[in-house]
Amino acid sequence: MGSLCSKQRHFDKPENEENGQAAEIERRIEQETKAEKHIQKLLLLGTGDSGKSTIFKQIKLLFQSGFGEAELKSYTSIVHANVYQTIKILHDGSKELAQNEAESSKYIISSANKDVGERLSEIGGRLNYPQLTKELAEEIGSLWNDPAIQETYSRGNELQVPDCAHYFMENLQRLSDANYLPTKEDVLYARVRTTGVVEIQFSPVGENKKSGEVYRLFDVGGQRNERRKWIHLFEGVTAVIFCAAISEYDQTLFEDEHKNRMMDTKELFEWVLKQPCFEKTSFMLFLNKFDLFEKKVANVPLNVCEWFKDYQPVSSGKQEVEHAYEFVKKKFEELYFQSTSPDRVDRVFKIYRTTALDQKLVKKTFKLVDETLRRRNLFEAGLL
Amino acid sequence: MGLDVGVGGQVLDLETAVKDGILGGGGGIGVGGGCGLISTAAAEKLDLKKMIEELEAVEVPSVFICPISLDPMRDPVTLCTGQTYERSNILKWFSMGHYTCPTTMQELWDDSVTPNATLQQLIHTWFATKYSAMKKRSQDVQGRAIEVLEILKKAKGQSRIEALKELRQLAAAHSTARKSLVDNGGVGSLSSLLGPFTTHAVGSEVIAILVSLDLDYSGKTNLTQPAKISLMVDMLNEGSIETRINCTRLIEMLMEGKDFVSENVSSLSLLVGLLKLVKNERHPNGVIAGLRLLKAICSHESLRASIVSIGAVSQLVELLPGFKADCIELALHILEVLSTVPEGRLALKECAKTIPNMVKLLMKVSESCTQLALAILWAVCKLAPEECGALAVEAGLAAKLLLVIQSCYNPVLKQRSAELLKLCSSNYTATNFISKCKLTTTIQ
Repeated sequence: MGSLCSKQRHFDKPENEENGQAAEIERRIEQETKAEKHIQKLLLLGTGDSGKSTIFKQIKLLFQSGFGEAELKSYTSIVHANVYQTIKILHDGSKELAQNEAESSKYIISSANKDVGERLSEIGGRLNYPQLTKELAEEIGSLWNDPAIQETYSRGNELQVPDCAHYFMENLQRLSDANYLPTKEDVLYARVRTTGVVEIQFSPVGENKKSGEVYRLFDVGGQRNERRKWIHLFEGVTAVIFCAAISEYDQTLFEDEHKNRMMDTKELFEWVLKQPCFEKTSFMLFLNKFDLFEKKVANVPLNVCEWFKDYQPVSSGKQEVEHAYEFVKKKFEELYFQSTSPDRVDRVFKIYRTTALDQKLVKKTFKLVDETLRRRNLFEAGLL
Repeated sequence: MGLDVGVGGQVLDLETAVKDGILGGGGGIGVGGGCGLISTAAAEKLDLKKMIEELEAVEVPSVFICPISLDPMRDPVTLCTGQTYERSNILKWFSMGHYTCPTTMQELWDDSVTPNATLQQLIHTWFATKYSAMKKRSQDVQGRAIEVLEILKKAKGQSRIEALKELRQLAAAHSTARKSLVDNGGVGSLSSLLGPFTTHAVGSEVIAILVSLDLDYSGKTNLTQPAKISLMVDMLNEGSIETRINCTRLIEMLMEGKDFVSENVSSLSLLVGLLKLVKNERHPNGVIAGLRLLKAICSHESLRASIVSIGAVSQLVELLPGFKADCIELALHILEVLSTVPEGRLALKECAKTIPNMVKLLMKVSESCTQLALAILWAVCKLAPEECGALAVEAGLAAKLLLVIQSCYNPVLKQRSAELLKLCSSNYTATNFISKCKLTTTIQ
């Protein structure tokens, strides 16, 4: 088919013009290819909910013009959707726990909120959500404050309560305002499943304004479908930024409630490391959601996760958090070297502690990533 | 000053004479701030012997040097020939029965020695001037170091890096600057700059300064925090060769701290980075630094399996033939320590080059190397006597062992060699074995 078409000639056009056009097109292609070569491609990988998209949004806020009003407005429906989804999960969760748990009484919603709960649950199950009015917000608020729901929330790791739950529930009044325009922070917290691939191109401008590096960041969805089919399209990326939410060691997957999230992350990381297309790629491991990790470690021991079963706490408080973090870091490090064949040991591999919601931290972290990649370039060019 | 020196008919004052280098003192006396020459009285107070000692590196004018000892004179005396010598030296010359002038070879018509007061004062003054200049420079350096340390507390970005670079230069060139830094809380300040968000540019400068300082217990403890060591490990993997060596040396220094636990250096990235250093034959300094740190890490039993897991054993074995003597000893030491754990023994056995390389090293480099190589061979052969014993014999082990037994004085070595010989030969009949050994006729 293709060859047939190309043999067609437009005999009515003078040949000179045609050659001129072809030459111009070729020149343009050559220019673009050259320009492409200087663009460093970064690929965000990680399991669902690991914070990839939050990092993506942060980069947009930091190095591009941020979110314009129109774009902010477009997040209103997403924020409201998150609110409905959250309260539904909590409500249904409390009913489930009331049925299955021995101490069922603490999960039974008070009679005042019972009907409200049923109604909200129904709304949350629809495909299209209604506008978040003040009345609805009040009802959601009172249900949120119901002791049964709070008890359920404390067991959030067993259900699929999203990490933004607390933040949105505490801001219901503002979110339901008639003229509500999402803030930057709201946008960072907003949760929507990434489908397909999104990309942005940016140039980090630091104190050293001559940096001039151009990066293109790709964010792909996190779920487990058909990864192996498209991963090779990213051969030749400069670096993989692998996000791992270290706070999820006691949580299960959205797609499979019997699978521990941390184990899933472990498997994915292993798989990615072994891909032939990433033989020479630098790996930046973001151990994300450190703020949630910090709070969780005090109450939930690390060894509930099979991978961390040999963890021994040594102290308490801040010191223990640090100790736990170092342990997790070491586990990932071990995994990296186990999954890396000797001929790939020259790959750059660095671990960063991140809290994707903290813009300052992300900026500092990215500054380090940028420095590492620039040094790597110099090294490969033989200049270091 | 009032001391006039007649040089070739010209009358100069001492200050000019010394300053302009008439006496061959060279430049460098130019001291600012009007501290040109110290008065004779003050100079007298400074002990000449001490000054000469401290100014050892400085080039002393030839006229101040005793022709006998070639040292600066403290008590110059002149003979009747007009030549001047150090009193004790010329008297010793006389006591040996010589009554000649050592330089002119003339016989002395007068055995009196006249103290050369003028020369003595000149020497004293010259040294005093040099000494005070040095002291001032040193003070300047000390002062500057403290100044820069203050600047560092507030500087950010590029100015921080500039301050660090200056501090690095000062510390590298002057021991007084180093002491000054340590005495003024420099270690703590520098240490506080190291953290999870430290850029490479800043980190590499800080490490370069710290590694040149004398770190005390609290300084080392401060630096042994996981986040800081993590940073050092990162720089060890990414930096220039100089930075890599600095990080390696600094970690080695920290390991000497009392509270050091093996966990602090258990990072696989560190071990992999060290192995890379060791393999980089273009930089012998890096090889030695890497080997030394690996040796220190090996001393922690819990870390030996990790070291083996990154393939250190086979890599070290294969590097041995290319190493110089000091590296060979370090590498053998590491391998021997690793052979004390089962993973290490297995890795040694599985590496094809272990036995031939060890056999080659017997009696080749030094006694301690021979001892280490023997221990390694023993560990491997004990693991699989038939298989390894055969390989060892094929590699010419027997002849070497006999050599050890014959020529070594160390009874322990002799015993070990005998045992090893027995172990390896246990599968052969006597005649078979001897033929396999390809021994020279004399030994046969």
